[in-house]
Amino acid sequence: MAGGLSLYAEGESLLHRAHPLTKGALTVSAVALAFILPSWTWVLGLAFLLLALIVAAGVLRRLAAVAVVILGPITLLLLAVQGFANPANHTVAFALGPVVYYREGLAVAALAALRIGCLVGATFLFSFTTKPADITEALLQRGLSPRMGYVLLSALQIIPQTLEMATRIQDAQRARGLETEGSLLRRARAYMPLMLPLVLSSLVATEERAMALEVRGFGLAVARVSRIDFKDGLFQRTLRWGLLLLVPVAIVLRLARRW
Amino acid sequence: MSGPALLFEHASYAYQGAALESLSDIELSVAEGEWIGVTGPTNAGKSTLCLLGMGLAPHFFGGRLKGRVTVFGRDSLAVGVVERSAEVGMLFQNPFTQVSGARDRVDEEVAFGPECHGIGRMEVAERVAEALALVGLEGLAARHPSDLSGGQLQRLALAGLLAMRPRLLLLDEPTSQLDPAGTAAIFDVLASLHGRGVTIVMVEHRLERLSENCRRVIAMVSGRLLADGPPEEVFNRLSVIERVGEPVYTGLARDAGLPQPWPVTLAGAVVAFGTRRA
Amino acid sequence: MRAVRFAYPGAGDIYPEPGISLTLSSGVTALVGENGAGKTTLTKLLNGLLRPASGSVIVAGQEVADASVAKMARLVGYAFQNPDDQLFERTVAAEVAFGPRVLGRPPEQRATDVARAMQLCGLAGREHVHPHDLGLAERKWVAIASALATDAPVLVLDEPTLGQDFASRHRLRTLVERLAAEDRLVLVVTHDMDFVGEACPTTVVLTHGTVRHAGPTDVGFKRPEMIREAGLEPPHVTSLARELGLPPTVSAEGFLAEL
Repeated sequence: MAGGLSLYAEGESLLHRAHPLTKGALTVSAVALAFILPSWTWVLGLAFLLLALIVAAGVLRRLAAVAVVILGPITLLLLAVQGFANPANHTVAFALGPVVYYREGLAVAALAALRIGCLVGATFLFSFTTKPADITEALLQRGLSPRMGYVLLSALQIIPQTLEMATRIQDAQRARGLETEGSLLRRARAYMPLMLPLVLSSLVATEERAMALEVRGFGLAVARVSRIDFKDGLFQRTLRWGLLLLVPVAIVLRLARRW
Repeated sequence: MSGPALLFEHASYAYQGAALESLSDIELSVAEGEWIGVTGPTNAGKSTLCLLGMGLAPHFFGGRLKGRVTVFGRDSLAVGVVERSAEVGMLFQNPFTQVSGARDRVDEEVAFGPECHGIGRMEVAERVAEALALVGLEGLAARHPSDLSGGQLQRLALAGLLAMRPRLLLLDEPTSQLDPAGTAAIFDVLASLHGRGVTIVMVEHRLERLSENCRRVIAMVSGRLLADGPPEEVFNRLSVIERVGEPVYTGLARDAGLPQPWPVTLAGAVVAFGTRRA
Repeated sequence: MRAVRFAYPGAGDIYPEPGISLTLSSGVTALVGENGAGKTTLTKLLNGLLRPASGSVIVAGQEVADASVAKMARLVGYAFQNPDDQLFERTVAAEVAFGPRVLGRPPEQRATDVARAMQLCGLAGREHVHPHDLGLAERKWVAIASALATDAPVLVLDEPTLGQDFASRHRLRTLVERLAAEDRLVLVVTHDMDFVGEACPTTVVLTHGTVRHAGPTDVGFKRPEMIREAGLEPPHVTSLARELGLPPTVSAEGFLAEL
C-alpha cells in the first residue's frame, strides 16, 4: 500500500526548503489575491509569477497534469454558461445556426477561469513542495494543540487504510453471496452489510489506537521539544507578513478606488 | 532490592455496565526481572490483568476496581496511563492499530513515545537506535510504516515501547496474529530483554513456547487464579490440563503412560521418553 | 483445478510458469506456506474473487470463470481471517443466518442449518448476543458458523486457529473431521503445524507460488529440507520423534503407535 496520502514531490528547490509557514502565507495570499485583483493584467501577472515559482520548484509537469484534470472541465463549463447565457451579452463572437456565442461572456469566463487557475496553481504548488509532517510540525511549534496535529497527520495514513478495509469487506461479503452490482435495489440491499462492518471495525480500531497512544504517553503535559529545525530568519518572517498584508491592502485599494 | 514490580492484592474488577466481574480476588506478586506466562481459556481475565497493570483499567475503561493494584510501589488508582508510560509498556494483539499513523518513517515512529515525554533530541536519537537494534529493524529505519508486514509492525510497536526504557512489559497475546517467523522474532527480542532485567508479563496460548521461556506460569479460569508456579508443576495438575490445556509433550507423555512429572518442553520430553525406552 | 497461471497486477507473477496444477478431493486439506507464497491467491481463485490469467479452475464441476462470485458462494463457504470484515448483524443468530438468507434458502431449512452450525461452533445458547459483545476469538467462530450454515460442499477456513485457546482448537478439529465425514472438502489455511498434523490428512505446501507438496501430510513431513525451505516448522510431535530417532510421525496417535 502506498505510504499514506500525500502529494509531496521530492526536491531541493528554494521553495522546498522554505519554511512551511512562508509557503502557507504565499498560498493564502495568492488565493485571496486571485479573486481580489480587479483586472486581466493583474491576474495574469499573478499567474505568471506562480508559473515561475512552479517551474523553479520543478513541479511543472505534475501541475500540468492536475490542471488538465481539474481546470479543464471547469473552464469548459464556464465558457459555455457565460458565453451563451450571461445577461450582459450583446456582441456576437460567432454563431452556429440559432446558437449564438457572445464576446462579453467569453471574456468573463476566461477571467474567471484564470482566477481559478491561480487558486489551483497556488494550492498544488504548496502541496507538492511541502511535507504534511513539516507543516504540522511548524504549526505545533507555533502552538497548535498536539491532539489537533495528530488528527491532521494520522488522517493521511488512516484514510488509505480505511479504503483498503472497505475493499476487504466487500470481498468478504461477496464471498458470502452478497450481490454488490446491478440494480438499484440490489445495491441498496448491499449497503448495510458493506457499511456496518466498516463502521464497526473503524470504531474498534479507533479504540485500539487510542489505547496504544496513551500507552506511549500521548497527551502527557510536558514542554514540547521541536522535532525539526526549520531554516528561518528575518527575511522569511518579513516576507510572510508582507505577503499576508498584501491581502487587506488589495481589498482596501479595490474598495476605495473602485479599482 | 525494592518491592515487587506488579502487585495485586485481593483485586477484583468489573467493566462498566458488566454484571459479572472479569477478575475476582486476584492475589499476585511479580518480582522485578521475572518473565511470567499467563494462560487460560478465552474470557479468563488474562487481558484484563494486563489492562489493570497498565492502568487502562480503570482509567480508560471505567469500571469498578476493588482491592489494590500496585505497580513499582505506586497505586494504580493514583497514577494515570500516560504518567505510567515511562515505566510500563503494553503490547496488544493487533499489529496494525499500534502504529501512530502520524509518522512517515520507522525511526520517527519509534521516536513518537519519547517525544511525547519531552525527551531531548539527542537522547531520542540514541534511544531510537537502541530500540531498533533490539528488535532487529535497523535495516528498515527509513521505510514507511505501511510497507511493513504484520510481524515487522509488531516489532515496530515493541521498539516504540522500548524507546521509553520500560521496567515492566505487559504483552497481550503479542504473537497470536503472526506467522511462525514473526513469532520467533518476537520471542527472541523478549529473551534478550529478559536478559537485561526487564520484567515481562505475557499472555500466550502457545504452551510449548510458554514453558520453554517462562520460569513461572499463571493459569487463569473465569477471572480467578487456578495455578501459579513453574510450568513443570502447573501443567502436571489435572485441573489445569482439563480446563486450560497442556503442552503437546505433556499430553504425549501422559497418553504413553509415563509416570509424573510429565515433561513440558522438548528437552524434557526427550529425556523422559529416552529414559523410558532405555 | 487444471493448470492455473495468475498474474496479480503490480506484483509480478504470483504463480510462475507453467502455473499451478492441483486436484483437491473431499476431506481436510491444509494449505501451508510462508506469507506471500500464494495461499490467499489460491483460495480466492476458488470462489472467483480472483480470476486466473490463464488455465481454469473447476470447483465441484463448476468452471469458476463461468460464474459470478455470488454464484460461487453456493459452492464455496469462506470464513475470512478477520471476522470483523464480515460481521454486521445485531445478533449471532442473524449473522449466521446471513449466508443462507442471501443464497435464498427457505426459512425452515435456514433455521435448521443455523442451529446446526451454531451447535458445531460452540455458540449454542448465544443466539441473541451481539457479536461485538464477544471477544475476537469467539467472533471468529461466528464467521465460521456463518460459512458453515450455507451447507456448501467446499469450505475455506482462513487461519482459524489464530488466537484460539486449547478447547477451541479441539472443537475445530472435531468440526473439520465431521465435515470430512460428510464428504465435503475443507481447506484450512494455517500456520499451526500441530493442527495440520492432527487434523489434516492432506497438505498442500506452497513456496513462492509453486506447489512443493500436495499429498498425505505425514509423507510431506518426511522431507525436512522442503519443510525448511518453505519456511515452516514441523509439528512438535514430529520434532520429538526425530530427536528420539523414531520415524517422523505427525500426530499423537502415530507417535504413540511407533513407541
